[in-house]
Amino acid sequence: MSYVIANQLTRHYDLSDPWIIRQINRRPKNILTAVNHVSFSIEKGEAYALVGESGSGKSTIAKMVSGLLKPSAGSIHIDGHDLNGPILDGKATHNMRQRIQMVFQSPYASLNPRWKIGNIILEPIKSFRLIADEKQQHKRVAELLDQVGLSERDVSKYPHEFSGGQRQRISIARALASQPEIIICDEPTSALDVSVQAQVLNLLKDLQKEFSLTYLFISHDLAVISTMANKIGVLKDGKLVEEADSAELFANPKHEYTKMLLSAAPNIGVYVHSERKS
Amino acid sequence: MANPLLEIDQLSVSLKKRKQTLKAVDNLSLKIYSGEILGLVGESGAGKSMTGSAILGLIDPPLFISSGKIIFEGERIDQNTKNIRGSKISMIFQDPLVSLNPLRRIGDQLVETIITHFDVSKTQAFERAKSLLEEVGIDPSRINAYPHTFSGGMRQRVVIALALAPEPALIIADEPTTALDVSVQAQILDLLKKLAKERGTAIILITHDMGVIAETTDRVAVLYSGRLAEIGKTADVLKDPKHPYTKGLVASTPRIDANSLLEKLFQIPGAMPDLDNIPEGCPFHPRCDFADAQCRKEQPPLFQNRSACWLSKD
Amino acid sequence: MNRFMQSDFFYHFRNTPVAMISFAVFTCIILAAVFANIIAPYNPFDPASLNLMNGFTPPMQANDFTGEVFLMGTDDQGRDLFSTILYGLRISLFVGVMAVALAMVLGVLLGLIAGFLGGWFDVLIMRFADIQMTFPSILVAMLIYGVAKGVLPPDLRYEMSITVLIISIGLSEWVPFARTVRGSTLVEKEKEYIIAAKMIGLNKWQIMIRHILPNVLSPVLVIATITFALAIIAEATLSFLGVGVPTTKPSLGTLIRIGQDFLFSGEWWILLFPAITLLALALSINLFGDWLRDTLNPKLK
Repeated sequence: MSYVIANQLTRHYDLSDPWIIRQINRRPKNILTAVNHVSFSIEKGEAYALVGESGSGKSTIAKMVSGLLKPSAGSIHIDGHDLNGPILDGKATHNMRQRIQMVFQSPYASLNPRWKIGNIILEPIKSFRLIADEKQQHKRVAELLDQVGLSERDVSKYPHEFSGGQRQRISIARALASQPEIIICDEPTSALDVSVQAQVLNLLKDLQKEFSLTYLFISHDLAVISTMANKIGVLKDGKLVEEADSAELFANPKHEYTKMLLSAAPNIGVYVHSERKS
Repeated sequence: MANPLLEIDQLSVSLKKRKQTLKAVDNLSLKIYSGEILGLVGESGAGKSMTGSAILGLIDPPLFISSGKIIFEGERIDQNTKNIRGSKISMIFQDPLVSLNPLRRIGDQLVETIITHFDVSKTQAFERAKSLLEEVGIDPSRINAYPHTFSGGMRQRVVIALALAPEPALIIADEPTTALDVSVQAQILDLLKKLAKERGTAIILITHDMGVIAETTDRVAVLYSGRLAEIGKTADVLKDPKHPYTKGLVASTPRIDANSLLEKLFQIPGAMPDLDNIPEGCPFHPRCDFADAQCRKEQPPLFQNRSACWLSKD
Repeated sequence: MNRFMQSDFFYHFRNTPVAMISFAVFTCIILAAVFANIIAPYNPFDPASLNLMNGFTPPMQANDFTGEVFLMGTDDQGRDLFSTILYGLRISLFVGVMAVALAMVLGVLLGLIAGFLGGWFDVLIMRFADIQMTFPSILVAMLIYGVAKGVLPPDLRYEMSITVLIISIGLSEWVPFARTVRGSTLVEKEKEYIIAAKMIGLNKWQIMIRHILPNVLSPVLVIATITFALAIIAEATLSFLGVGVPTTKPSLGTLIRIGQDFLFSGEWWILLFPAITLLALALSINLFGDWLRDTLNPKLK
């Protein structure tokens, strides 16, 4: 059975005017369907990417997969557990949270500006009770910082003392701190410069190998997805219009929208080709 | 080669911070010709937006132009840009949401710009506005609509129409498509290419996206720490970069390619220095695999009109 | 400490005369109040030391009957005005600080709840705030004061005067704190570090107190400074109106009331010195608070 199964995920937003206004103006309800019966599955250790433009529903799906948002219909199963099933065991739900973590787009808003980064990274360890002994906790934080390419001395610094790329690394360290199995990456490098982006993407690749992580990658940038994902789902207006292994998608796009996206994407590949032949 | 439309000659833009004087743009020289699209590419803090602002005279204290000249159509403009700005040189910014006045119809904003620059009647201005909208791909019957009724991409087209209204010789576009969806981005870039070709307008396209550069520009200038690292025809610079920074940038840009999943992206170690930490000599040398003693001491000039690197000397 | 001395904040402070002077003034006043028992030549609250014959002595002039000289003169009961002002400041400052503390704690908490939990909490708290703000805060304070005094048993009324005063002023000033904190909370709660906190499994209260609170506190400091001045003036007003502190322990407001009665019979000093002190205190706090708000405002940088 696949590790992550999204089945007929649907999410409505009720944007209607209040009942009385509707009666007076004789207007119907206004329901926005952000996600419309989307189904996909991710195998353990895979990197699955959802690509789409604004309004495609990819961020909403990310929120539903992470458990932050309840679907209006459909379900999410992680390793056989229904994420939104009845809370039979509070502890099990808490542990479920531990297995899924997220890395966000904005390096500025994703870290609490008033907390030292040592504490930011320590927080999941404390919350999930992974390590009880204080000394061991500090060791673990140092270890995590090292894994993302920062140093132990950074523990007492504040987020504003770091650059955008370094802040994303801190976010990644925080995500790793809970020893997750799945990491949802929501446009993690969109706000970064090219050379910094390369560092962060390479880091994510290395970490995936080292810790056998499963990634759900959300992006609008096909070039970034090409680097990171082995399977791609194309979203348009809340619907999954095409899904394929990345090589196949790039070589033989089937849906009109996919073809349009591929041709519209600004691609340095018009001049630069990789040396390796497949 | 015809005379350049705009020439930037050894421009430096400086910032006074408590006790130091920092350079945001350092001794930059560039030429741009009519009808071409010149890309100005660099990472955040490289000085590309600052250069665009300097051309338009939009440098406010505590920043100031500390040396150099900007020459437009043969005349010096860096000391008095007011007449040129908005008429012969216009600008397009990144965010179409804030570039348009939400309280005024787009037709009114266009007409106002036209009347300011040309001695025509309101009716004539109106007709011109309609033809401008058509040129940028907007249905002219929407001339009386308000900005909020347009999508992001359409709004950016309106902004381009506004920039075209004074019939400028040069348009400076600062990250015009960064906030837009990919499909819309492609349309806007095609529009810019069409304008350069059909009207002969020169365009300086400021961006951090190498993909955009590849698809849109004729020539490209690569900036690093406020200095020019490399300049040349886009095809040449991207296929065969001479400056190590350009090589690194090109190699670290992701591309749509079946092989890219299996490879790691090339990464340039370190990060671009802050303004108050720019090293002596070539600013890139701490991150450069090929740096030698000369690179660490002396700033390289531009060799063969192409690359500011001691290794390009021959 | 060294880092503070070199910071931009201190740099602006050193370069703004208004900030330095107002800070100096109110620090002096506060220190004078704190060390009142050392500085004051007399203890005005000790009825045994008072001599009615000393009453109405003008400043720096020997009294006709006893020959004693008082720096600022004496009031109608023979109390040395200088000492009375110093001791009275203690009461004013104490009430001011405690009232602000109450208003701050209450306002910040309600603002956090309204902003973060939203829904009915938000509606109830904010509408209540709106209703309260339609009344002048002095009236609100008087109302609460009156109700509290009526509710308390008669023997406690005197002792609890100051407590009731603090509660009534504090409860009349919570709204600006709540509104500001609510606004900042609404902004912060959309940020990704809050989503991260949810993904770590923290509950709503943990998120509110540990994550949101530290980030919404900066405007609170400025509001607290200004509210402090308001609270001091509120206390003086209530005492002036006769509903504040008991007359045996006069605060600045009481002295002003006493002084006003005697102004036109020529004993001008009983009104003037307490009034100037109150003015200096309130003005310096306000000016410093204004400067603080302007300096800490990131948008003006």
